[in-house]
Amino acid sequence: MTRPFIPALVMLIAAVAAFFLFPYNLAFLTRILIMIVLVLSLDLVLGFAGIATLGQAAMYGAGAYAAGLFAIHVWADPVAGLLIGALAGGALAALSGAVLMRTQGLTLIMLTIAVAQICAEIANQAREVTGGADGMRGIRPGKVLGLWEFDFIGITGYWYALTIAGLVFAALFVIGRSPFGLSLRGIHESPARMEAIGVSVYRRRLAAYTLGGGIAGIAGALSAQITQLVSLEAFSFTLSAEALIMLILGGTGRLYGAVLGTVIFMAVHHTAAANDPFNWLFVIGALVLAVVFFLPSGIAALPTSLKRLAKGGRHAGS
Amino acid sequence: MTIRHILTAVSAVCGLGLAAAAADEIKVGVIAPFSGPFAQYGIQYQQAIEAFQSQHGTVAGEHEISFIYKDVGGVNPDQSRALAQELLIRDRVDYLAGFTFTPNALAVGPVITQSETPTVIFNAATSTINKESPFYLRTSYTLPQVSAPAAEWAYDQGIRTVVTTVTDYGPGIDAETAFKAAFEAKGGEVIESVRMPLSTTDFTPILQRVKDEAPDAVFTFLPGGPPTFSYTKTYNENGLREAGITFLGTAETEEINLQGLGEMAEGLQTVYHYSPAHDSEANRAFLTALSELHPDAIANWASVGAYDGVHLIYEMVEAAGSDGPKAVEAALGLEWESPRGPLEMDPETRTVIQNVYIREVARNAETGLLENVEQGVIATVGDLGWTK
Repeated sequence: MTRPFIPALVMLIAAVAAFFLFPYNLAFLTRILIMIVLVLSLDLVLGFAGIATLGQAAMYGAGAYAAGLFAIHVWADPVAGLLIGALAGGALAALSGAVLMRTQGLTLIMLTIAVAQICAEIANQAREVTGGADGMRGIRPGKVLGLWEFDFIGITGYWYALTIAGLVFAALFVIGRSPFGLSLRGIHESPARMEAIGVSVYRRRLAAYTLGGGIAGIAGALSAQITQLVSLEAFSFTLSAEALIMLILGGTGRLYGAVLGTVIFMAVHHTAAANDPFNWLFVIGALVLAVVFFLPSGIAALPTSLKRLAKGGRHAGS
Repeated sequence: MTIRHILTAVSAVCGLGLAAAAADEIKVGVIAPFSGPFAQYGIQYQQAIEAFQSQHGTVAGEHEISFIYKDVGGVNPDQSRALAQELLIRDRVDYLAGFTFTPNALAVGPVITQSETPTVIFNAATSTINKESPFYLRTSYTLPQVSAPAAEWAYDQGIRTVVTTVTDYGPGIDAETAFKAAFEAKGGEVIESVRMPLSTTDFTPILQRVKDEAPDAVFTFLPGGPPTFSYTKTYNENGLREAGITFLGTAETEEINLQGLGEMAEGLQTVYHYSPAHDSEANRAFLTALSELHPDAIANWASVGAYDGVHLIYEMVEAAGSDGPKAVEAALGLEWESPRGPLEMDPETRTVIQNVYIREVARNAETGLLENVEQGVIATVGDLGWTK
């Protein structure tokens, strides 16, 4: 029973080690952690429940704007801000999901994109409240739990984001093994069969979408607090698409895949862009192509694939 | 706690000395888009920086100056802030520069205030940025700086009624507001203000509406590139030109796309602060240096914003080395001759005070290429949006 915890422990140790190994890159490492939370939320929606979406940024943006507004006008406490972000993301997902979860396939994908676009346009129009295209500024989060101030180097930001990412991971780990999580996987495999055994597919999908929205909202709130600015790009299609690429890269339906994919994508992106700010996109493209061709189930499936390859090799030899 | 304390603390943690930051080398971090659809900005900046260095060398005062380029992609404040932190903490830059989009510039505000790093904005044109930190300095322009003089000039030309058509996003709305306020203050009338969605590709219905209103002029603000192309095409094809409705723009006849606009662009009037056709020794020297390094380079406002930004950084380094507050102090009120004309760093708004020109697109008889021919200075102003 302890085995499933080993990879989680390894990741945690790696995250702590990263803090000491790359003390100058904390801002970047924190961005990875925030992205991990977003990709995990996508993993729940797409990987577990099989809801095809290209609009996860809608909930991320809702969380970011809600947390930002809350910090400016109501209370600067970061943890309360995260809750507000989660509520906003979850509420948007529940509202839009009530309609969206009745559709499937291409229609669903188009609608998820549309929701994010509508949100972006609302934020653009409501300049007085959101700052429009200039971005919402003036977010000054208070001390975390009243103890740790957000510092210039990003030490507090890193531990704060790591804690949240860890908690989200743990929560999804539990959910994935709960009856609810298993029913989601069932729906992913065969909605018709699940319907036949008496599961309300629509409700389960809506619940998963709402939960995923709440987690995406947490990611957005984190980014609002760390960057202290929210822009319209929080709703951008690029963000949804990049999160999806990271998930596919790592492997859908596996929590480790979501984490691994995000870390690899962002690390490659960062190093490639730092070494050659002009042509780095080529490297990213090659990486994605290689994974899609050689590891269709993602990098998290590498050990399995290697094992199969080794076995296949023996077969060929004998 | 100042950045020195923090850096000392970090260095102590990592067992590194502060000796790495040699006194005779000053690093400048340039945060700009170098990839994706806005990569042109980063390229323009880099070319202008190289042109400046080929003219003036890499030494200012007793300091060697080097540039570190970081790609921010597009509008991405998260990335912008993270890059700024990395540049300041790991690369130990003493100055920051670049910034094409307003959110990216705004995102570094709290960081540069804390680290006391002078930050030179090469492009981002929203007035409010400079209010967020005393360490911002801007060598580009602000939208009210060119839109308000355009309105006043139009009124002085006898234009009394105008329809404004702007793209419905931050800069477009700023341009509309500034134009309208200045035009109405003079006694003119803005009959209608149309805001066009950012994704508009067919301007026929909008321009038909303008034609029906029959104003004396149509003021427009569009993001560069394809929209400008189809807007000017529609302006001509729908007969607004024949109907005597004067075209009034700002950056629409921008040099990179100008040749593509072709004959349709001829005669279009714009109000702006820089044209590579500007007749001066400084401009010719800049263009020569630029084309020697990059034969295909086209100079536009982004190039000149970066060029003057580097000039400002050199002046600051010479006066104050790596002392941020002292450097900003030295920059305020500084006057110099730029390729666009005389400049002064306004001590209050920290945006340059510059000439605003009325230009008309015409074909250069020698080269056969279209250019924005300056017909005169209509105002010498700083950031008019500061007190708004």
